[in-house]
Amino acid sequence: MNESELQDAVSRLPKSIEPPRDLWPGIEARLARSGGGAWRRRWYWVPLAAAAVLVFLLIARAERSAWDVTALAGRPLIGTTRLAASGRLRVGDWLQTDDSSRALIAVGRIGQVEVRPDTRVQLVVAKANEHRLALARGTIDAKVDAVPRLFFVETPAGTAIDLGCAYTLETDSVGHGLLHVTAGEVEFQTGSHSSRVPLGALAQIRPSTGPGIPYVEDAPAPFVRALIGFDLEQRGTRARAVRTVLALARPHDALSLWHVLQRVDPSLRGVVYDRLAALVPPPPGVTRRAAIALESRALEGYWTKIQRIHFRIMVLQGVREIDPRTGLAKP
Amino acid sequence: MSDDLVARAQAGDQTAFRELYRQHAGRVYALCLRLTGDGRDAEERTQDVFVRLWDKLRSFRGDSAFSSWLHRLAVNVVLNERRTTGRRERRVMPAEDPDNVAGAQHAAPLHLNIDLERAIAELPDGAREVFVLYDIEGYGHGEIAQLVGIAEGTSKAQLFRARRLLREKLER
Repeated sequence: MNESELQDAVSRLPKSIEPPRDLWPGIEARLARSGGGAWRRRWYWVPLAAAAVLVFLLIARAERSAWDVTALAGRPLIGTTRLAASGRLRVGDWLQTDDSSRALIAVGRIGQVEVRPDTRVQLVVAKANEHRLALARGTIDAKVDAVPRLFFVETPAGTAIDLGCAYTLETDSVGHGLLHVTAGEVEFQTGSHSSRVPLGALAQIRPSTGPGIPYVEDAPAPFVRALIGFDLEQRGTRARAVRTVLALARPHDALSLWHVLQRVDPSLRGVVYDRLAALVPPPPGVTRRAAIALESRALEGYWTKIQRIHFRIMVLQGVREIDPRTGLAKP
Repeated sequence: MSDDLVARAQAGDQTAFRELYRQHAGRVYALCLRLTGDGRDAEERTQDVFVRLWDKLRSFRGDSAFSSWLHRLAVNVVLNERRTTGRRERRVMPAEDPDNVAGAQHAAPLHLNIDLERAIAELPDGAREVFVLYDIEGYGHGEIAQLVGIAEGTSKAQLFRARRLLREKLER
């Protein structure tokens, strides 16, 4: 069964199903027990609410706890204190490594970050629902095992948002950097501008333009140069860069074209879409008109297909050869 | 007619409220059945929804259609119950990979004799909720994220997983 057949079947489901027995007697009995005015039964909410507030405050206080740090090499600095073997990084503290020191930060209970030499990083938020570091400069290797959007790394050029993954992020103090994802997926966001980078893909980061168009590890150098050229071109003068990107793109590069589609001038979206559709046909339900209009449902549907094919290629690398147009194993 | 029933029920007329139940029980039960994936749970949640409705009815101001308002109330009742139950269960059960337990958690209700309904019932809880709300009930990912208490990205991931699992189940 394909996606379209599934949607057809779903649309035929009845909106109403009669319960197998009459539920009214049970409802009536409960209404009789409740005795009418709901407010009368709710006096106990006052002490309960007070207790809940107290518990919340205690939990919130506990969540401000620091993260564990272990020195892997040399003697990293936490603030102005040299770390001997291990220590605690508190909210607001800076951890700094020199050219011969490295450290490992435990990200709450959800993962870890290795801090490479010549790196400066600050703990910004340490809560159960938000784990946030600021990477001022240097390189980190992050590995997180949690639901998406719990771990964030701010850089001078934007924020890396974990979608359940492992990645290496490097930046200089101005914001030039590189994101390389080795598991799962990362979203890099600068204002309303964002790139989705799945495993086996990279994205250049620039202080002026934020995340560049992501590309796969084995993308040919001319294609990567063309993408970088596209990223650096001003709006209105991108036509030539776009045509170079389209000419060099392979089916493996669909994830790059999906991003290009959203960043080109409206007049160029048609040619980008046509090239993308020729390389990886859109899934059922995604129309040219909707994709060119950048309707989120169409873009999400297309991304889901591109992402699924990409993951299959990466996960089955060396095991089975996957057709990059369809995601199916080649015979 | 329905407006009149609502007004009378708001004034405390239980006969009118019973008629509202008759008119809307099928729609509410279908939603509860698909969200819970279990016939017995769906019956309980349907009763919970109408008991809650009796309590909340006075707050209905007619800004939207009564059926839409009731539908939203029903979604909240089911999801709140699931959150409470989930917290209780997590105290005694280890975390698990939903992909590995598909089909193990819920016996499909006997009266669900349609393959798709059965396959939906057998989805893992999180995937089923997102699938029902998005693909059947037409909610957006933003709304679902708020209702279920998850990130939008999680909602999208759960929908993708649900559709994949359904296609696999229906192909067997």
